[in-house]
Amino acid sequence: MNESPWVALRYLFCALVLIGLFFVFPILDSLRLSFFRLILAFPWLGEKFVGLENYRDLFTDPIAFKALLTTLVFVAVTTSLEVTFGLGIALVLNETFRGRGLLRALVLIPWAIPTVVSSQMWRFIFNDQYGVLNAFLPDALKASYGAPLADPELAPIAIMIAEVWKTTSFAALIILAGLQSIPDELYEAGSIDGMSSWQQFRNITLPLVKPALLLALLFRTIDALRVFDLVFVMTQGGPADATNVIQYYGYKKIFAEGMVGYGSAVAVGIFIVSLVLSLLYIRTVGARLLEAEAK
Amino acid sequence: MESRRNSARVFAAGLFLLSLLCSSPAFANELRFLTFKPPTMRVWERAIAIFEAQNPGTKVVLELGPHSSTEFHDLVTQKLRNRDPSLDVFFMDVIWPPEFVAAGWALPLDSYFPVAEREKFLRAPIVANTYRGRIYGAPVFVDASMLYYRKDLLQKYGFAPPATWPELVRQAQTILERENDPSLSGFSGQFKQYEGLVCNMMEYIMSNGGALVDETGLTSALDEPKARAAVRFVRDKIVGEIGRKGMLAYQEPESLAVFAQGKAVFHRNWPYAWEISNDPRQSKVSGAVGLSPLPYFPGGRSVSTLGGWQLAISRFSRQPELAWKFIAVMTGEQVQKEIALAMGRGPGRARLYRDPEVLEKNPQFAQLVEIVARAVPRPRTPVYAPLSNIMQRYFSAAIAVPDSNIEQLARIAARDMNRVLDLLRDHAQP
Repeated sequence: MNESPWVALRYLFCALVLIGLFFVFPILDSLRLSFFRLILAFPWLGEKFVGLENYRDLFTDPIAFKALLTTLVFVAVTTSLEVTFGLGIALVLNETFRGRGLLRALVLIPWAIPTVVSSQMWRFIFNDQYGVLNAFLPDALKASYGAPLADPELAPIAIMIAEVWKTTSFAALIILAGLQSIPDELYEAGSIDGMSSWQQFRNITLPLVKPALLLALLFRTIDALRVFDLVFVMTQGGPADATNVIQYYGYKKIFAEGMVGYGSAVAVGIFIVSLVLSLLYIRTVGARLLEAEAK
Repeated sequence: MESRRNSARVFAAGLFLLSLLCSSPAFANELRFLTFKPPTMRVWERAIAIFEAQNPGTKVVLELGPHSSTEFHDLVTQKLRNRDPSLDVFFMDVIWPPEFVAAGWALPLDSYFPVAEREKFLRAPIVANTYRGRIYGAPVFVDASMLYYRKDLLQKYGFAPPATWPELVRQAQTILERENDPSLSGFSGQFKQYEGLVCNMMEYIMSNGGALVDETGLTSALDEPKARAAVRFVRDKIVGEIGRKGMLAYQEPESLAVFAQGKAVFHRNWPYAWEISNDPRQSKVSGAVGLSPLPYFPGGRSVSTLGGWQLAISRFSRQPELAWKFIAVMTGEQVQKEIALAMGRGPGRARLYRDPEVLEKNPQFAQLVEIVARAVPRPRTPVYAPLSNIMQRYFSAAIAVPDSNIEQLARIAARDMNRVLDLLRDHAQP
């Protein structure tokens, strides 16, 4: 029990090396590159230190601003829907009924499918000529062949649907874990006191499942901020830039255009936004989580 | 004990990952060839067999990259940026040479590929592979866009293939009206926000006497009246009247599927669509497909976009001579003929377009060779990729909404393009 801290460090060594190699180093290198002008098409310029120039450009870049806005709307809509639907699914799965184990496994299927595959699937579903969506439409609507991915107003909604479909089950899983930690005695006591099931939900379930809800919200927010593969497969940012999320914009800057310095500034910008959001969450949510634990 | 065993396991995994990072998979007797999956793998296998027979002891290692040009570009540039010595020969899209040359990634081939030999290939792709007076790629596939049409429907209404865009719209309107089939549309092209959108729009703009960039190559020409008029025509007539809005989400395969299912009168595509739309197993219009050069606007001329794929050698390859020997096989008569026969793709070698055996299998090549001769490359500049992204954004915004403000969008696009081009002016290559 009284071993020196070196022992702990020895155990942690591998983890630290891996984290350093694959997380800390790339982040620091992006940060460094964001202060340089490095354009792959102009190798004779070399890596020129330009201070905050990339950031000045970023703050006056209307496309980056619009991309950030698109991303934040995407995050707000998808996470709130996922947690709402997730709660519903978790409540059902928490009841005892025949085939519950099977249903629990089935619910996880969307989450287990790689995003690239599910995005491809949704792209086909939304296709105007041979998509399944149009097959279900009434004939009157079918004549106009709805093409959600071709419409700048509908395309963002289409990718949100694909995202919610895929990750609601993840939220449901976390919330289900929260539901299962609520002792049955509380509900028994509630029934004896004559509480209706709505009252039980309001006064027992909801307060006690709140930590799990907040946790699901935190995970989903951070993850949704990084949305990339859906857009990459389904729309490539179009039409009319309507689905150009910030991660995709940064990716195009670095990998397609070779603007490594500027693209790194975009990446650092995303990093800062998610860091600030996480800290905000952890401060508000985390405090409540601790409170809930203490009770 | 358990935790110690676990940490040992993690340590071993870490070492394994490290070893992966450090190891270099290149061996002296291996030649690494980065390609996308060709329509018929057999042709590549034959080419490799010929090369390996000519160079005993050498093995070609095939690496398959993604199909989309943009994604293939990401993969190749990543390898070249990292000066990966295990890459010898790679495919290059027709728009990449200026970028790859400026970045110092492609090896000049002048000493291997003499002018006399170059003259045996079609001129357009040779010009596209030449930058600042040196050659960097040998053409394997040559593409040029063309107009596919429903021969049966045009004949039924007594139409000749349309020479101009307004004529195409009129014919489509008449056919749509008389056929009265709600599933039939007048036109099917590629209008998704991606590289293909630039090709499609360039054809309208240049066939109206406009351009994407001016003759100096250093100023955007999108905010000129003729360019704007062509964009407006696409928005109002092609997408707005005879085509479907769904086209705004189409790349080549989706648009071809519509045509091959008999649901479009006219279709714009590359030569490969001939084979598929005439294959009864994949197409409902087999035998009823007509082919012609793309239409133009009154007072303009027909403009096809030049496409196609070249083989290039990495500057970081340790065996450029061997790499060239492989390219010589791939661009040699025998393999080129197989490309034409088995893949139905336009080969780089000019003579094959007059070869009776090839023409019997691919009658469309007689027309293709004329279209290629007049095909126009996209702007040839090392900053093509950022320019393309600006143009894609503009074109998509301009045609996706019926009441888009084309004047304002064109002004912004031209300004953004000029900013990128200024970069080129300010930092001219020494």
